[in-house]
Amino acid sequence: MNWSLFFGELVSGLTLGSIYALIALGYTMVYGILKLLNFAHGDVYMVGAFVGFFVLKWLGGPLAPAVTGWLAVAIMFTVAMLACGALGVGIERFAYRPLRNAPRIAPLISALGVSIFLQNSALLLWGPQFRDYDTFDLVGVKSYHIGTNFFISNVQILTISVSIGLTILLALVISRTRTGKAMRATSFDRDAAEMMGISIDRVISFTFFLGSALAAAGGIMFGLVFGQIFSLMGFTAGLKGFTAAVVGGIGSIPGAVLGGFLIGLTEAFATGYLPGGSVYANLYVFALLIVMFLIRPTGLLGSPVIQKV
Amino acid sequence: MKKVVVAATLAAALAVLATAAWGSTKGSTKVASQANASSALVKCGKTRSIGLLAPITGPAASLGQPQVHWAKFFVSNYNKTHRKKFKLVPEDTQLGAANGTAEAVKGAQALGSSASVLGVVGPAGSNEVKATTGALKGAGLGWVSGSATNTQITLDGTRTGFFFRTVPPDSSQSKSVTGYITGTLKLKRVYIIDDQEAYSTGLADEVQAQLQAKGVTVGRDGVSQQQSDFTSLINKIPRNTQLVYLPWQLPPKGKAFGQQMKSQGRAGVKLMGSDGLFDPLFSSLGNNVYDSFFPLNPADKRVAAFKASHKGTELFGAPSYVAAQVVAGAIDRACKNGTATRAEVRAQIKKTSIAASASLLGLKVAFDKHGDMVKKPFGIYHSVKGVFVRVA
Amino acid sequence: MSSLGGGQPGEGGLPAAAPEPVDAPDRVKVGVDEWVAEAEGRRAARSGLTGALVRVWERLPAPARLAILIGPFAIFPFITNEGNLYRYGLITIIYALLALGLNVVVGFAGLLDLGYVAFFGVGAYLYGIMASGHSGHHLQAEIAIPIVVISTALFGLLLGLTSWRLLGDYLAIVTLFFLQAFVIFVNNANGGLNDFSYPFVGKVDLTGGSNGLDQIDPLNFFGYHITTTKGYYFFTLISITLLMTMLYFVNGSRTGRAWRALREDPLAAEVMSVPVNRLKLLAFMFGAATAGFSGTIYGAVQSGAFPGDYDVGLLITIYAIVILGGLGSIGGVVIGALVVNGAPELLRSSSNARFLFYGVLLLALFIAMRPWYKPVVVLLGTIAFGFAVHGIASAVWSRGTAGHIEGGGQLGRALEHWVLLPRNTSSIAGWAYFALIVAALVLTLLRGWWRALALIPTLYLASFVWENKLVEQVSGATRLILLGGLLVVIMNVRPSGIFGTSRVEIA
Repeated sequence: MNWSLFFGELVSGLTLGSIYALIALGYTMVYGILKLLNFAHGDVYMVGAFVGFFVLKWLGGPLAPAVTGWLAVAIMFTVAMLACGALGVGIERFAYRPLRNAPRIAPLISALGVSIFLQNSALLLWGPQFRDYDTFDLVGVKSYHIGTNFFISNVQILTISVSIGLTILLALVISRTRTGKAMRATSFDRDAAEMMGISIDRVISFTFFLGSALAAAGGIMFGLVFGQIFSLMGFTAGLKGFTAAVVGGIGSIPGAVLGGFLIGLTEAFATGYLPGGSVYANLYVFALLIVMFLIRPTGLLGSPVIQKV
Repeated sequence: MKKVVVAATLAAALAVLATAAWGSTKGSTKVASQANASSALVKCGKTRSIGLLAPITGPAASLGQPQVHWAKFFVSNYNKTHRKKFKLVPEDTQLGAANGTAEAVKGAQALGSSASVLGVVGPAGSNEVKATTGALKGAGLGWVSGSATNTQITLDGTRTGFFFRTVPPDSSQSKSVTGYITGTLKLKRVYIIDDQEAYSTGLADEVQAQLQAKGVTVGRDGVSQQQSDFTSLINKIPRNTQLVYLPWQLPPKGKAFGQQMKSQGRAGVKLMGSDGLFDPLFSSLGNNVYDSFFPLNPADKRVAAFKASHKGTELFGAPSYVAAQVVAGAIDRACKNGTATRAEVRAQIKKTSIAASASLLGLKVAFDKHGDMVKKPFGIYHSVKGVFVRVA
Repeated sequence: MSSLGGGQPGEGGLPAAAPEPVDAPDRVKVGVDEWVAEAEGRRAARSGLTGALVRVWERLPAPARLAILIGPFAIFPFITNEGNLYRYGLITIIYALLALGLNVVVGFAGLLDLGYVAFFGVGAYLYGIMASGHSGHHLQAEIAIPIVVISTALFGLLLGLTSWRLLGDYLAIVTLFFLQAFVIFVNNANGGLNDFSYPFVGKVDLTGGSNGLDQIDPLNFFGYHITTTKGYYFFTLISITLLMTMLYFVNGSRTGRAWRALREDPLAAEVMSVPVNRLKLLAFMFGAATAGFSGTIYGAVQSGAFPGDYDVGLLITIYAIVILGGLGSIGGVVIGALVVNGAPELLRSSSNARFLFYGVLLLALFIAMRPWYKPVVVLLGTIAFGFAVHGIASAVWSRGTAGHIEGGGQLGRALEHWVLLPRNTSSIAGWAYFALIVAALVLTLLRGWWRALALIPTLYLASFVWENKLVEQVSGATRLILLGGLLVVIMNVRPSGIFGTSRVEIA
């Protein structure tokens, strides 16, 4: 039994999974309230990664930052999360709100349009080149060993813990605050919530803000762990994030996190153990989705949806 | 409704036959239409046109832009010293973009119908060469590529006499690489990772086969060009691997891979790239990095002049300079009597002979009967203090 | 004002005010019958030139409408050279054919199929396996094409089986997975070292891997080879005409009505004993067969099939065609293909693009703002504003006006005196782009003269961004940016596409 391979893929999977979980959270919250597949979410993730890169550059660049490495990282997170939150609110206001009563396919197409727009604006403004976070020079990547078989680096620990931390924070916001209660009410029955005096527009905007901020955090974490970002990274990540949300049960917050980690681990272990590993890794992830549909169409933690005529 | 469908199908069959009879040719007219275009006399005039097919925009623009710059560099150098000038007619193939090779074919069709174009430089990708064969051959144009390295495109006989290339094919590169790994470095365990693109898988297949024939243990895997997260893959590489071969096209990916190897404690493994990774980004990783690149005479004044006027190295595009040189020379010779046909230009390309001293590549440029260069070595480079130095 | 039984024109001697259009977005549509909605909306909402055109169009018999759509395409080869015919004609018709099939799946039956172009690829590759130098077989087209169409239909059947249990968005993901699987399979199935080893036959080179399946034979009917662009063009044109005719009849048949019922509300349709599952399969099969057929044509035209051609980028293009043309509208698809394929071709040269950009801007201005004097005022204001800014800038900040417009001809030279052209554009242009987006969005919130006033600096900013940034990448990123923006705008203004019929959802 090759323990170093096992532990290596475990760590790799958990890291990937935490990023996917953050993206999945955004998808699941929006779907829960609007029943809308927000295609543009993956591109918000990409914009977050780029904003983080430019903040870093503004601070002097990864090689000579004006403040110490970790403080720079904290500033990157804050600025990117706020900026992308605003971006998410803007997208909802102009691309989705006018279509709330339109046929189901219209907001879907609009989302596709926003996604194309964002991707190509990024291509236009920032070029197709890859941008390096140069994490090595920024915060100094250190690998920790436990025994001879278990390696984990400090950025990986950071990624996993930040992801879990943000999820807990989100869960607290949803269960303890009034706005969170309003969000839950709206996702349960929009018209009834409106009649109870909840401002639907505000609640939806807040949902988008939260989801996009989380996606931005995911983007920066990707940049830190893997060192590189580029304009087209949003597409596959968004797809996997949505898969994670569906696998975990769409509309369920813990389900999204569970789904994210499951997808990440599947990808890592498929790469490591299955034949044709890395080439077919994405297919194994989607095959997991298909299997999930056949066995439990509502996902692991989702609740059955009642269809009304 | 069923009756309608049946009637429609019958009508369709009839219509198809009618169209086929009307708009079709009976085998030989393909040659005839080719003959029409390739034997059409074109007045050479003061400015002659060379077509240029390259990915000017799109995901592969980082490969295409250097080619465009080097071709334009040649044309501007030529125009400075000659009375009769040349003009480039660029067509954007958008290699790697949404419609795949469709843009390349559109560009080839446009060049074919443009009466003044006598020869073409490009396209960049081997798949594009295959896709544009119909259009370019049908128009009677000869074309010379500075970067399409798939071994089979000159050997399969479909393009003989029409397609030439000023860059050694994958078979040369794989031979040099294998020779260096087994002969000089004397390694026994290699892992190959391709990036799923045609250029990469072709090269990887050849290197793998040759290494295995020499008794080296070879592992093989692939990543998509869209991927930046290599950690899962790096975990899979066996601990006793001595060298990882990366025949990739995008230097930033090579750099990311190297950095992620380091972060997972694999800094001691040697890395070797192909000509797509020949870039300071890759060599900056450290002194266990090797690369293979087509020969270029670094002492050549033109290389220095190009570097001075363009920031960044962009050496990848240098063979396109030579390709433009070949096409221009052929058109010059064909135009000696004031007019030329595309067939004459093709014949002259075949007879190209540029001496080593006049060629950017530091060796004589002449083509064999398949369209490959007669001499086609590949050099091996080692990263010393962040810069690639030739060692073989 | 009630929309049921709207005022009769001429009642009481006064012309009736046009009733509020029934498909206004914020109206709750409860209990309004679709037929009434359509008739009312059309009769009342269109006035003037567009109204007259629409009424004439609707009164034409179907064959005449078909002739008007196809006629220009039939004449096109005789007035242009081969290169242009390929670029503007053949590719447009092939995409239109492809989009027609998608229109059946998405527009008629309402199933969001994101794996559609995989069938396009299957068609090309199957034909290549049966008739190419690569595979060694050379079947004639009259045998190969039916085999390809039937096989692709079977694949469509298989994929359609997944739609039985899946609702809209989930179906989208599953079909997308199918597309990814297809691309990866085709990229690796070359019998090489990475490929699977099949039972009985071992490793087989099916698709040539990432190098593609090359040397595909031209279409060969009973010994007649189609080798010229004109030949393929007419072949495809006739095929699409026949397909459009067939679809027109299907639309009016029981199956078509059943599909529409399925699209509007699957559960209600099932309750009304419409055989929902069978219809879904039929839609998938029909779409797949059409895609397979267009795939054989495309493979023969390119004489090769390469993996990168059948990926998400093409999917987006075809979806754009179907959406712009209108879901469920047969003729609209052809127009959509013309716009989506023709426009980027026109945009290839930056001077063409410049004319197109300013032309469209002016047109949009005059269409969106009535009465006529408003856009004139805005235009004059913008020109004056521009000169003022340019004048101030050249006095205060010389670097701001040092740049040149390349290859713009007369218009370019005139613009040089009007637009700010800083020498070092990159970062300023980026912020300007961002500012432009914000300004455009703010514009949608303003009304009346405030909007007209805010338009002036916005238009100038748009011209600035265009000249300094967008023009650089006209055939690549800019085209897609405009496409994305267009999709959002169209969905906001006309959610059913340009020619689609507006649908009524009963709450």
